[in-house]
Parts: sequence; structure tokens; C-alpha cells
Amino acid sequence: MTSSPYAHPRVAVPRVAVPAWAWALALLALFALYLLAQDNGAVLAQAGGVAHELFHDARHALGVPCH
Amino acid sequence: MPLTHRTVDRLGGTATAPPFPALLGRLLLGGVVAGVLSGIWQLLVTERAISPALALEEARGTGTVEDSGEMFSRTTQLVGGFVGALVAAVGLAIVLAAVYAALRHRLPGRTDGSRLIVLTVIGFAVIALLPAVAIPANPPAVGDPDTIGTRTAIYGAVLAGGIVIAALVAAVVGALRRRGTDHTAVAAAGTAVGVALLAVLLLVLPGTPDTIPADVPADVVWNFRLASLGQLAILWATLGLAGGWFVDRLTASPARG
Repeated sequence: MTSSPYAHPRVAVPRVAVPAWAWALALLALFALYLLAQDNGAVLAQAGGVAHELFHDARHALGVPCH
Repeated sequence: MPLTHRTVDRLGGTATAPPFPALLGRLLLGGVVAGVLSGIWQLLVTERAISPALALEEARGTGTVEDSGEMFSRTTQLVGGFVGALVAAVGLAIVLAAVYAALRHRLPGRTDGSRLIVLTVIGFAVIALLPAVAIPANPPAVGDPDTIGTRTAIYGAVLAGGIVIAALVAAVVGALRRRGTDHTAVAAAGTAVGVALLAVLLLVLPGTPDTIPADVPADVVWNFRLASLGQLAILWATLGLAGGWFVDRLTASPARG
């Protein structure tokens, strides 16, 4: 029908069944990433301050805005 | 082409879709490798670019609490920084696993390795390179604490805009392919739509409200930005290459998986 090898990817590649818990886990990971990158204990208050200082250099290095 | 497809599928082991838990496990392994490599880069390169900025803050005497080492020693912060890089990589790998599993059948490529590299290149472009252009990373001693809310909002908007643009380009490319459009024309159309939308995004969004203080030398900022972008490149490249290698071992020989 067509010369493009990409024209019918669905024929060749079956779908992966993605369970609901996969998305729950991804959301949890996103929340953890947010906590890692967050600004100055907006969510965790005091504990956020500790995490903020401990992960300070990683946040700068990853290019997230910081103080 | 169907014959080629079938042959390729057998070689690439893509005839049956891998179960998600196995996929997640392999990508987590890739995430750990990516975290360790980017953490080593951080200790060897990025920290060296951060040091002069911390010295500036100290000389200024106006360093914020987190940089003066009042709560943690610098050594502890170096370890924390490495752990932070590792946690970030593993977190990204978990999100990547769900996104890859959902998009796997739509990504171009003959093996899981090549499909994953496509996805991680898009991820690097949208989540690392685009913010580095729109609102570049800064070392300590540069950011104004009063504008952190604005800067975080701009950063979030860049990420959201980039993800929307990637989805729109994928939708255009997918629609053209289904219509059987010539491969070169599809590539040209996808590129044109992507470039136009990116230009609009960069023009519409405001830049950082901060000005770099006069006492911060340009090379301190430049070296840090290069180190930061290099670290993100290592992180995403390893996620794609190591993660893809692990997944290919899984799909090529499920018996050993």
C-alpha cells in the first residue's frame, strides 16, 4: 500500500498492557521528583527544609530554579 | 514490506509485548546506572563548577542558609547531591516505564532499544534542553530568593508547553502516516510544526526576572550551565542506552528474563 516502513506500526507491534498501578507508581515518582526539586519546603515545611539542603547541589545541577 | 516487518520482529523479539512489571524492572536497572553515572559527573564536574559560586556567596556574606553549611557540612551535601542525582534518575525511570509502555507500539524503531532511545531523546529535548534554553540553570550566588516563585512557574510552564508541543507533533506525524504520506514529507511537516510551536512558546513565555549580579564572573555561570547540561545529557543518554540494552535482553530471550 505504501513504501513507508513506518506506515502501519500497530500491525507489527502489539500493545503493552499497562496496569493502573503503573500510573499510580508514576504519579508517586513524579511527586518524589517534585519534592526533590521543590522550593524551600512549600509542601513538607520543616522536613522540606532538611531535604532542600541535603539535595541542594543535585537541584542546581539538574537545572531546577533555586533560591 | 510485511515480510520485512515479520523478520525484523522476530529478530527484535517484538512479536509479543513484554509484561509491564518486567519492563519496569529493566528500566529501573537502567535508572540506577544512569543515576550513578550522572552522580559521578556531578561530583567530578558539576560540583567543581558550583564551588566558585559558593566561595562568592561566602565572600559576600549574604549566602542563604542552605549554602553556608549550617545544617549540613559540605561533605554531607556532596553525598546528598549524589543521592539526589540517583533518586532523580530512578524517579525518572519509573515515569519513563509507564510512558514507554503506553507509547511502545507507536514509537518508530525495530527493537525496544531503538524505540527507547527515540523516547529518551524526546525526553531530553523537552525536559532538559528546552528549559536550558528558555530559563537556563544558574549556580548558587545568582538566584534572587524573591523571584523563586516566578522562576518556578516559568520553569513549570516551559515543561508543560514542551510536553504539549511534543504530543502535537506526534499527533501530526501520526495522522500524516495513517494517510500514507511520503516519509520525507512527514518528517518535513513534523519539523516545521515543532519549530513553529517552539518559537511561539519561547516568544510568549517571559525569560527569567533575575539579572546576574555584577560580582559573578561570566565564566562561573557559563561553566556551571555547561556542566549542568552535560549531566542531564548523561542522565538521559544512559536511561535510553542502558535501559534499552536491559529491555532488549528481556525481549530477545524471555526465558532468561
